[in-house]
Amino acid sequence: MNANIENSIEAKVEEVHLSFRESLVVLAVVSIVCLASNWAGTGINPIKALPAMLIIYGMIFVGLLLTKYVRIGFPAVAWVSLISVLLTIPVSPVSAAILSELKNLNFLSIVTPVLAYAAMAITKMEVDLFKRSGFKIAVISILVFTGTYVGSALVANALL
Amino acid sequence: MKTQSTAIGLLLNWRLHLIVIIVSVLSEWIGIQSIPVANAKLLFLPLFYSFILCLFVNPNITKFSNKIINKKNASIAAPIIVIAILPFIAKFGTLIGPALPKIAQAGSAMVFQELGNLGTMLIAMPIAVLVFKMRREAIGATYSIAREPNIALISDRYGLKSSEGIGVMGVYVMGTMFGTIYFAILAGFLATTGWFDPRALAMACGVGSGSMTAACSGSLATAFPTMKDELLAFAGASNLLTNATGLYVAIFIALPFSEWFYKKLSGEATSKMNKGAN
Repeated sequence: MNANIENSIEAKVEEVHLSFRESLVVLAVVSIVCLASNWAGTGINPIKALPAMLIIYGMIFVGLLLTKYVRIGFPAVAWVSLISVLLTIPVSPVSAAILSELKNLNFLSIVTPVLAYAAMAITKMEVDLFKRSGFKIAVISILVFTGTYVGSALVANALL
Repeated sequence: MKTQSTAIGLLLNWRLHLIVIIVSVLSEWIGIQSIPVANAKLLFLPLFYSFILCLFVNPNITKFSNKIINKKNASIAAPIIVIAILPFIAKFGTLIGPALPKIAQAGSAMVFQELGNLGTMLIAMPIAVLVFKMRREAIGATYSIAREPNIALISDRYGLKSSEGIGVMGVYVMGTMFGTIYFAILAGFLATTGWFDPRALAMACGVGSGSMTAACSGSLATAFPTMKDELLAFAGASNLLTNATGLYVAIFIALPFSEWFYKKLSGEATSKMNKGAN
């Protein structure tokens, strides 16, 4: 295939990795964005939702620390998820307190900005790839997504 | 791992964040809408609007947006996504925690639906090979849902410049661009048909990336408001499991099977036919 695509794929793979400090700074900005989105979506003002956001920030902070120092191939998402699950299981002493604060943060409202960033991040290479072999790949992709989703749902449905 | 340091100034570029804030607030104001289709409904969530609105101000897509934000400043959004998804993941965890006893009851369904992913290949591979006459790109494109771990595996086995690499990158790009929205629409639609247990649909939401899981289970929660917490918990737990086991399913089951299946379909005699791209 075209050498152009190949080069740009390589460029794409060489992604920018944020350092620990940079991650924390970005996280602070993203938290502000989330508070604004949450405000627009739920009417809960940022001051009321701030404790919830700080709890989230704390969980992620610990998650990023663990990702940095405990190198067992666990990605940050897995650490963060593990921490928040463990803190809120029924036997956890802080579970009730965390849950009552986090009610102020709507789960869909904090995804809205993520998709906005995702759309901004689409690169020239991705647009080109789409234009060039868009149709075939689009059809195959839809089949892949549908097959995976329906396959999993069928198995789960049969075993529930 | 290469750590390419980025100037903090670039990360804090106010234009990018301001665009995201404006677009998110607008999208949240529009709120959840639905269109009836036959007996089911198509759900539209604020996250769709924010994605679509931002496509219009992406300087790689529309010309006029170069005046609003340049390509360099827009490209910094890529590493930001990785961080921006974390608050959502943390919130997700707090839905899984309290529901853990319930999730444990669904144990076998939860574990085995991971294998449902293999359904991908059974449908997509024959179409790719027999209808579109794709060569070994078909393996990369259809062996998995093409998220980051799957790309890593293909890059490790074949290299990203190979036909398999091009296949996996193609589906990855599609997933990044439209996968999230497609999953949300699909889940929302299937939810209203009544063919599946809502919890099964929720578990299936976990097959892809974090943002796919979010959008997909968000649709379901909107379709079944009374089961909201339970559904979000199931989807989150399933995604956690996918993160933990997905790569192993890919290495030991999906990729070997797709190699075998490809050979059957294409009648290819030797396993190494390079440069089969055209």
